[in-house]
Amino acid sequence: MLHDIFIAPFQDMFSAPDFLLQVLWEGLVSGILYALIALGFVLIFRSSRIFNFAQGIMVVFAALTLVGLHAMGVPAWICVLLTLGVMFVLAMAIERVVLRPLVGQPDIILFMATIGITLFLIGFGEIIFGGENKVMITEELGIPTGSWTLEPFGGLLILEQKDVTAVVVAALLVIGLLVFLSRTQMGRAIRALGDDSQAALSVGISLHTIWVLVWFIAGIIALVTGIAWGARAGVSFALEVIAYKALPVLMLGGLESIAGAIIGGLMIGLLEKLFEIYWGQPLMGGNTETWFAFVLALLVLLFRPQGLFGEKIIERV
Amino acid sequence: MKHFTKMALAATVAAGLCTSAAADIYAPNLSYRTGPFAATGIPLMNGQKDYFTMINERDGGIGGVKIEFDECETGYSTEKGVECYEKTKGRAVVTQPWSTGITLQVLPKTNVDMIPILAPGYGFSPMADGKVFQWAFNAPGSYWDAASMILKFISQDNLDNLKGKKIAFLHLDHPFGKEPLPFLEAKAAQHGFELLPIPVGLKEMQNQSAQWLQIRRERPDYVIMWGWGAMNAGAITEAVKTKFPMENFIGTWWSGHDADLKIVGEDGKGYKSISFSRPMLDAAIQADIKKYVVDAGKSQSNPEEMSGVFYNRGLVISMILAEGIKAAQDHFKVGEINAEQLRWGLENLNVTEERLAELGMTGMVAPFKTSCSDHTGHSGGWVLEWDGKAFVEASDHLTPDSASIQPLEVEKAAEYAAANAPWPINEECK
Repeated sequence: MLHDIFIAPFQDMFSAPDFLLQVLWEGLVSGILYALIALGFVLIFRSSRIFNFAQGIMVVFAALTLVGLHAMGVPAWICVLLTLGVMFVLAMAIERVVLRPLVGQPDIILFMATIGITLFLIGFGEIIFGGENKVMITEELGIPTGSWTLEPFGGLLILEQKDVTAVVVAALLVIGLLVFLSRTQMGRAIRALGDDSQAALSVGISLHTIWVLVWFIAGIIALVTGIAWGARAGVSFALEVIAYKALPVLMLGGLESIAGAIIGGLMIGLLEKLFEIYWGQPLMGGNTETWFAFVLALLVLLFRPQGLFGEKIIERV
Repeated sequence: MKHFTKMALAATVAAGLCTSAAADIYAPNLSYRTGPFAATGIPLMNGQKDYFTMINERDGGIGGVKIEFDECETGYSTEKGVECYEKTKGRAVVTQPWSTGITLQVLPKTNVDMIPILAPGYGFSPMADGKVFQWAFNAPGSYWDAASMILKFISQDNLDNLKGKKIAFLHLDHPFGKEPLPFLEAKAAQHGFELLPIPVGLKEMQNQSAQWLQIRRERPDYVIMWGWGAMNAGAITEAVKTKFPMENFIGTWWSGHDADLKIVGEDGKGYKSISFSRPMLDAAIQADIKKYVVDAGKSQSNPEEMSGVFYNRGLVISMILAEGIKAAQDHFKVGEINAEQLRWGLENLNVTEERLAELGMTGMVAPFKTSCSDHTGHSGGWVLEWDGKAFVEASDHLTPDSASIQPLEVEKAAEYAAANAPWPINEECK
């Protein structure tokens, strides 16, 4: 037993390094997409203390809008622009109709409001787009759909071009967001609101504008995530559950840390894949990905309740 | 005069209510048009609904009694399914749970409530044993039938040909996905092939890279899939990605949905699915569906969906219920049958070639017959193959290995009854 746990997995890794590389690649792809979803949560939480339960359904809604518009004959890249427009209108509507009347309410009320937004978007989306699985307009968007076959260590490594595209686009988006948050006035305003909302409001930062902005950024992230996941297995309401994979990322990385979301996402993507392949499948019958990330996050919380990168909460009594 | 008008209006409304209550047979469907499984649920539910709409519009119902085909949305959630069962059981003559998980939950309740469960092609395979499961029906085929036919097909009708082979069993980690395991494990032990169960969690349906990495590492000779909802499309895209030979990839009858394969198109060529039904687009029933349902604007479907496997299977499934209702009406010589009478009807189904021709459904399902001891009928089926654009027939009519399935059904049914004692047994059935 000890051999199976401590020796055999590493022997497997060294005996088939090409396969190990494939596992790491698949983990990286999943991880960067988890990180992207987690970023959507973090941005909204930092600026408004709202845990946005609707992030998952926003992924579905954005992807469905994109393919729905294309089905109406609109050219692919115009669809992207129109979908961004729809996500902006959605952000404004959420701020105006849902959040603004709830300013000053306890966090749990705002959280419940995002559950309401989720239920509304599910119903609205199903009425408008139907529940059928739809094909993502991958080729129409110019995303390559072939694969590169490499032979490292005399073995086999398959890199799907759409996965490579997803990793590159997600990485660019993350870098872009970091630059936006650190180098632009609006970005600094978002961070200021997260650091000290009262001080930020006192120097004239508009809460309403920032809320619309962060929800719109969450919408952009949702669209990119929807395209990336939708290109893998179609666009349907099943995509919503992908967002729940971001929850352990947030527990691990901390709800307020952008770096935590990125590193937490990558860590969970890579570790859950390694654990599943080298320990889960041989020793536990597989399907450990459904719980591994949560157990990992719980272990971290035992020692660092604020997550790896979250801010330590000190309350004076 | 004013008083008289009010009384007349009240009498009219009351008469109307009485008429509609007396003239309808309430047949609820625990459907799912929302959630992660909606993509596969919708075409089936549309087919089922359109069939009864046609029956009501064309024939005025069955035996002159209209069918109230109601839907209760479960989202494929077992909890919601049980709620739907409780909500509808008051007037229902049947419950159609549409999930193995819901079927297992309501199975003991139906003994008490005396409502037949109709689960065509799904549910708990030992439900075939009608002596033990008096109220449950899964005609025309069980999951063990499907597994048996798949093994027969890939072994060229001789399971000994599978000796030394490795078969991966990629399944949803859910009661549905685990259902054929007892049969497959028994066959693996008997015929000397290695069975490798690979579960897919509900949250991992669209991200099966780990499962397909395992398949790449284990190099199985065949992959048998027991997938549903978003899992099917996820598995097929991963199979394409890992370059698994599609001709060695075969799914159960719920893993053969046209829309799932359209995502990969030509790359999915060669993928197969066992099926107890076939879409026969030139069958006479299609013209009646068009005339009485589609042209009348009463269908929620579309031409593309209506040409697919699942929509047409929905028609077959409703036909089975309709035949049960008709058999009960004919036997009890009453139009408005109750649940107990429908149980008799479902237990005495006799869907022959002639009857299928009368129904305009020749070839859409193979003939089958149920009895008090056989609630499945074991119609057999066909292998359908994806040709890049649609599913086409890839085998002659196949039959399950009933000689080995039947003893296992009896054994597992007895185990279930013992575990849930006291469990009523139909001693009159010989």
